[in-house]
Amino acid sequence: MSQADLSVEMRPGLVGKRVKRTEDPRLLSGNGQYVDDIKLPNTAHVAILRSDQPHALIRDIRVDHAMDVPGLIAIFEAADLEGEVRPAIPSSRIKGYYATPYWPLARGKVRYVGEPVLAVVAESRYAAEDALALIEVDYEPLPFAIRQVDAVADDAPLIHEEAGTNIIIAREFGRGEVDAVFETAPVRVGAQFRMTRKTATSMENRCYLADYDRRRMAVTLWTSSNIPGIVKDALADSLSLPGARLRVIAPDVGGSFGGKGSLYHEEMLVCALARKLERPVKFTGDRLEELTASSQAFDELIDAELAVDEEGRFLALRAEVIGDIGAYSIYPWTAGLEPVQVVSFLPGPYRIEHYRGRVRGVLTPKPPTGPYRGVGRPSSTFAMERLVDMAARKLGMDAAEIRRRNLIDGEEFPYRTGSGIIWDKSAFMECLEAACAHLDYPALLERQKKAREQGRWIGIGLSCYAELTGIGSRIAVAPGMPINTGTETGTITIDSTGSVIGAFGIASHGQGLETTLAQIIADELGCALEDIEIRQGDSSLVPMSTGTYASRSAVIAGGVAIKTARVVKTKVLRAASILMDVPVEDLDASGGIIRARSSNAAMTFKELANAVYMQMGRIPHDKREDLTGSESYDPYLGTACSSCHVAVVEVDPETYGVRVTDYVVAEDCGRIINPMIVDGQVHGAVAQGIGAALLEEIHYDDEGQLVTASLADYLLPLATDVPDIGIVHIEADLPNNVGGFRGMGEGGTIGAPAAIANAISDALSPLGIEIQTLPATPDRLFRLVEQSRATHLQKGQ
Amino acid sequence: MKPVAFDYVRAQSVAEAVAALTSSGGEGKVIAGGQSLMPMMNFRMVRPSVLVDINRIPGLDRIEERGERLHVGALVRHRMTASDPVIGRHLPVLHAVMENVAHLTVRNRGTFCGSVCHADPAAEMPMMTLLLNGGVHVASPRGERVVAARDFLLSSLTTALEEDEMVTGIALDTLPPGTGWGFEEFARRHGDYALAAVVATMEGRDGCARNVRVAVMGVGDTATRLPGVEAALEGQRVDEDVIAGAVERLRAEIEPNSDLNGSADYRRHLAGVLAARVFRAAWTRAQEGGAA
Repeated sequence: MSQADLSVEMRPGLVGKRVKRTEDPRLLSGNGQYVDDIKLPNTAHVAILRSDQPHALIRDIRVDHAMDVPGLIAIFEAADLEGEVRPAIPSSRIKGYYATPYWPLARGKVRYVGEPVLAVVAESRYAAEDALALIEVDYEPLPFAIRQVDAVADDAPLIHEEAGTNIIIAREFGRGEVDAVFETAPVRVGAQFRMTRKTATSMENRCYLADYDRRRMAVTLWTSSNIPGIVKDALADSLSLPGARLRVIAPDVGGSFGGKGSLYHEEMLVCALARKLERPVKFTGDRLEELTASSQAFDELIDAELAVDEEGRFLALRAEVIGDIGAYSIYPWTAGLEPVQVVSFLPGPYRIEHYRGRVRGVLTPKPPTGPYRGVGRPSSTFAMERLVDMAARKLGMDAAEIRRRNLIDGEEFPYRTGSGIIWDKSAFMECLEAACAHLDYPALLERQKKAREQGRWIGIGLSCYAELTGIGSRIAVAPGMPINTGTETGTITIDSTGSVIGAFGIASHGQGLETTLAQIIADELGCALEDIEIRQGDSSLVPMSTGTYASRSAVIAGGVAIKTARVVKTKVLRAASILMDVPVEDLDASGGIIRARSSNAAMTFKELANAVYMQMGRIPHDKREDLTGSESYDPYLGTACSSCHVAVVEVDPETYGVRVTDYVVAEDCGRIINPMIVDGQVHGAVAQGIGAALLEEIHYDDEGQLVTASLADYLLPLATDVPDIGIVHIEADLPNNVGGFRGMGEGGTIGAPAAIANAISDALSPLGIEIQTLPATPDRLFRLVEQSRATHLQKGQ
Repeated sequence: MKPVAFDYVRAQSVAEAVAALTSSGGEGKVIAGGQSLMPMMNFRMVRPSVLVDINRIPGLDRIEERGERLHVGALVRHRMTASDPVIGRHLPVLHAVMENVAHLTVRNRGTFCGSVCHADPAAEMPMMTLLLNGGVHVASPRGERVVAARDFLLSSLTTALEEDEMVTGIALDTLPPGTGWGFEEFARRHGDYALAAVVATMEGRDGCARNVRVAVMGVGDTATRLPGVEAALEGQRVDEDVIAGAVERLRAEIEPNSDLNGSADYRRHLAGVLAARVFRAAWTRAQEGGAA
């Protein structure tokens, strides 16, 4: 285990180097091709009439006036697609779970504001919207419970009557004698924590284009998705099409952050309509639709308690969680994805013998919650790390010291948590120490003391967490989900010109995977980086693929790249041995040249490819083989990626504005492929976490209407909200994984909300304030301070 | 998010623009920077039958000294208001204020006069127009009239502009050299609409504050001058007691709304906090200016 430093740059080969992203020339020069850039002749455009009711029966639809709009092609309701589209069922092995069927259009009843009701198809989106404005829908409003605390009640109105309950998923994890330990524990801290609802907000809105090939009776879908393989499998079933006649392509995708990682109504819809109309059909979502009808995130109420002894050792942890999952169980991840992970990851990177976490996922009339960078763990880490600081404060113990006493370390790995997650060896403790050292923690505490004496509210917040990344086939990424997310397939081919083509099932949408996989292949195969083209994001490349999500691609596709490159290299050297008349053992390849160790003999990959494929007789006919290989990789288990964040904030004691002044992340993502890309992931994810901590909140009012329906109200962090971020890389060995990579794309979002919540609580600690709800807006802080002052006043009297 | 179909007229003169508005029968809209109008059209909240583009009309893109007043033409962009040396000489406070207006791309297109016409209660330009006794120059088929800012800004997103009228410019007071000023704004993010903002100017003569002007925004249906608060400061040595009195007065006079970003209670608190800072800064500058 070592702290990465200059030695990273000294390594031979490209893995570990700050290689400039090969995607960037096309993306930065405006030559990227996103779905909306793809223009097919004769394309019809769809506008979706969406429900303006949170929960209602559809009584009547009147389209007469709309039919006269020039350019209108047709208007479809659910009944028009009956028998042509089957619902997607987000199944799960979890007992008692109810899988809400997922249809392209609402059937008889709407369950959230923004749910698709009608598809208006026209020659242009303008015409479609003109027609849409003339359609009248009569709804019969139904009662509903918009808040999860009300929706769990026995007499709450049911969102899906067939389920018989709004609580469609419930789980409990635990071990030990939790309640007994709490009975006798010297110190107990607890609170109700709330991570409010968020949404993923990519720069590119969701966009889908389906083309129908009348000759082959085949459908091609271009989709702004990070799971084209999963979408393909779902659509093959939904449209009853054999896979050979269905191709799903994710071209350049302008960010997802999880929001483009589920199957969407509109994806099903454009395919069904393209087949029905026998012409291309495009849906380009706008920002309003993005905010009202894309998957959302978090929204858990977490009642959690931690029992601690006088020395600050954690004795027991218990939690009751209600997750507001929205109106549907999202496909394919299910309603369990977000809330269940809150209780499975709540114990964090700590040694806690006794644990019980119970969770209920409850239906409410809102868009479904789904993947969002960090999934579950931003909420669980927020709750746990707040409890840790509350315990430290009660004991008068330093925040770093209490963590030091409880982090799993040394010979304790592999460690099984109270919820059953197994942490393989990762740099839990080293990250804490490195982050503190980077900021000179003792000096920081001194600085804070001086600032406090001047009446300034400065706070320091730590957060430690671990996540499970690169999860193999032993468990599904989402609890109980029957899709194999643990394997990845790749093919590497050297063609007749010497180009090296690597084809993978992943779907990069900003991670720079075309670069990192090429770095790996260049090192393993010995070819030149510029000769490699990585193909991905296309269901036709591999027999089965899922995509890029859950911090899996560098780990699993990276492993495939290594395994496959080794196979191809063996073939390269075998051919070279014949062509150069040198024993295989004497050959090696690097930088696109195959060299003999014991002589000056050398040939390029280009020469070799030409000889193998083009020049008859150069290789005996019974020895000639194509320079290609195809392998799959399954790490079986997942691997821990760990990190410690430290945030320093200053709260204005009058306006309650919060400024993050200093930030450091120490993280262990195993062997680093490209430090520049790792840094970029950390920067972006911390920025996203700052948004979650201070700004972002999806808010539904009591009428079930979305109040934050534009980016003037759903506030994303700006560059001015993000401080310089110090990063310390620690590369813990990972002997069981091919390549030794850990996934790291999500971590910043996991650590930042907790660190900032702790820092604000620390800044406000003279007032006895503990942050329990994020985002910590000025208005919320104002109310907390007013309450605290009122309480003190009462006590004084 | 596509607008309803509309016609487009590129006017070459004010007369032509007014004629186009008139012939639209009240359904026309003037477009200059379009930074508020286009989103509202895309949301179909505004559905003009014709857009009258005034961007090619010569002479409207200037800031001119006209006697004691500065005339800001209808095509003066935020970027220009924020950097123009004439403004810097006469109204340094306006430069400071403009730094809080949205972001560079918006400032490059959005116009001072357009923002006043839009009349957002949390936008800086209406507040500054009120503070500086702005006279809104309005052209119509009936000729030109000048409407005082307080009569022009009626309520949230509502002005006294008639359907066949267009604003050609706004005249603003200049402030004597050495006038003290203070400005504070608090928004969730830099460049956002303010949760509250306070601006004040005052001259320092004989150790007292004179010609005090105070305006606020984000804390009511429209930006507003606060005569009671001005009176509380006028003729005073602006010490902490006077500031506290003025802040109390300010908190009593405003009627903030509650919304997602801030409750009325918080906004009232915030406006007072900002006001105290503004009064201190204005007083300090006024004394420095008076001495100079």
